[in-house]
Amino acid sequence: MAKSGDGIHILQGLLVFGNVVIGMCGIALTAECIFFVSDPHGLYPLLEATENDDIYAAAWIGIFVGFALFALSILGIFGVIKSNKTLLLVYVILMLITYAFEMASCITAATHRDFLTPNLFLKQMLERYQKSETVNNNDKWMTEGVTKTWDKLMLQNKCCGVHGPSDWQMYMSAFRTTHSDADFPWPHNCCVMDARGSPVNLDGCKLGVPGYYNSNGCYDTISGPMNTQAWGVAWFGFAILCWTFCVLLGTMFYWSKIEY
Amino acid sequence: DQSLKPQIAAPQLATNNPTLTTVALEKPFCMFDSSLRPNKSYVIYLYAMKESASAISSLVTDNSSKPLDSTFQQTSGGQLGPYKAALFNVPSCASPPRLSDVEDANKVSDVLKQYLFRVGDDGTCLYDPNFLAVCNPPLAPDTTYRFKYVLLDSTEGIMKDQTLWSDPIKTRRVKLPLKIDTWPGRRSGDMIVITSILSVLVFLLLAGFLASVSSAVM
Repeated sequence: MAKSGDGIHILQGLLVFGNVVIGMCGIALTAECIFFVSDPHGLYPLLEATENDDIYAAAWIGIFVGFALFALSILGIFGVIKSNKTLLLVYVILMLITYAFEMASCITAATHRDFLTPNLFLKQMLERYQKSETVNNNDKWMTEGVTKTWDKLMLQNKCCGVHGPSDWQMYMSAFRTTHSDADFPWPHNCCVMDARGSPVNLDGCKLGVPGYYNSNGCYDTISGPMNTQAWGVAWFGFAILCWTFCVLLGTMFYWSKIEY
Repeated sequence: DQSLKPQIAAPQLATNNPTLTTVALEKPFCMFDSSLRPNKSYVIYLYAMKESASAISSLVTDNSSKPLDSTFQQTSGGQLGPYKAALFNVPSCASPPRLSDVEDANKVSDVLKQYLFRVGDDGTCLYDPNFLAVCNPPLAPDTTYRFKYVLLDSTEGIMKDQTLWSDPIKTRRVKLPLKIDTWPGRRSGDMIVITSILSVLVFLLLAGFLASVSSAVM
């Protein structure tokens, strides 16, 4: 060995420790991304209809990258302990590829989070909610997704529209073409419901009497989970990559010092 | 009383008013009390017209003080003159509905019915050939309307009192959703930090890899 035995042993120990941490983080990343992909809040149809669902793509990449990191960390530990130059070379090359994928996932999640503005969801809600004439199957699928999701959101979270019920009054919408303003100033799901799921007082709801309609907007309940997902994938991935960077540099140094 | 005007319903009660096609007006509480005589029965008519119609005609009675029977269709929705939108009993001045009662779900229907009237509420009566009562179809959006209450003696059929025409009330107008700007604006700070730092790290990794491979080859 070119260096003293102790120095090499310390480096080996550090590299093994580094790989253990990478392995555990890989599993954690896989678990986190599986949680996000499972869409516990049921908001995916809204993203699908915006045709901008790349924060989900980032989460899918995260699942596979996490698993790859775990497998490669085991290879790395094995290679470091055996001081095998070939194994470590394979490890470094595969890790670089995984690194590139994870980098793509982080950047995608962070970038596409920026597109999720209130106006985006407002426009989509107005154009798609209860749209009656759909041109093709894709349009029909997206319209049904948006309609069901909004109905569920308004009922469960007791909210109406993106900024508030005034969204329905300020803008023309697909809903307005089939439902007259006199009977439906806003959808009936915006009304306060009784135990059987019908409005407590329909006239009160239509007139906007406080207590008989939901006056707050749904934007917070939409953007909250999506932000959590985007930031969770992006920043946890970033942290893993910073750590992996150090471990990889150490491994390359160690590799260059091993003699056949 | 000839100096009072119909008022729009209390905004803290009816927050969604006026809408695209409806206007909720307060019923004429205590406006006709000086003209009411005991032992006579009265009824109140509500007339509506577009503000532009006041140039053509704003009369609600004929020469013999009988109120006009004009309908929505006859006046083209209030464009040619006033049309009769509603008729109801004189609201009680002595015991008006308490607005705080709307909080009780059992009483809210009654309170709303006694306190206000929603012009434009009935979307089907125009197209129903069997409908015989006074038709109150939805108004036109983005249009200014004016309203008037008329007190009528129901046995004689003669107008006894009327209010002034209300202040002009405009229905809402809508914007098209196409005009909504969905451009997210500038990039967030997170994204710039992540992209730039990761790019630098990848570059350093590749440089390190090339350095170690070339030092091993030589």
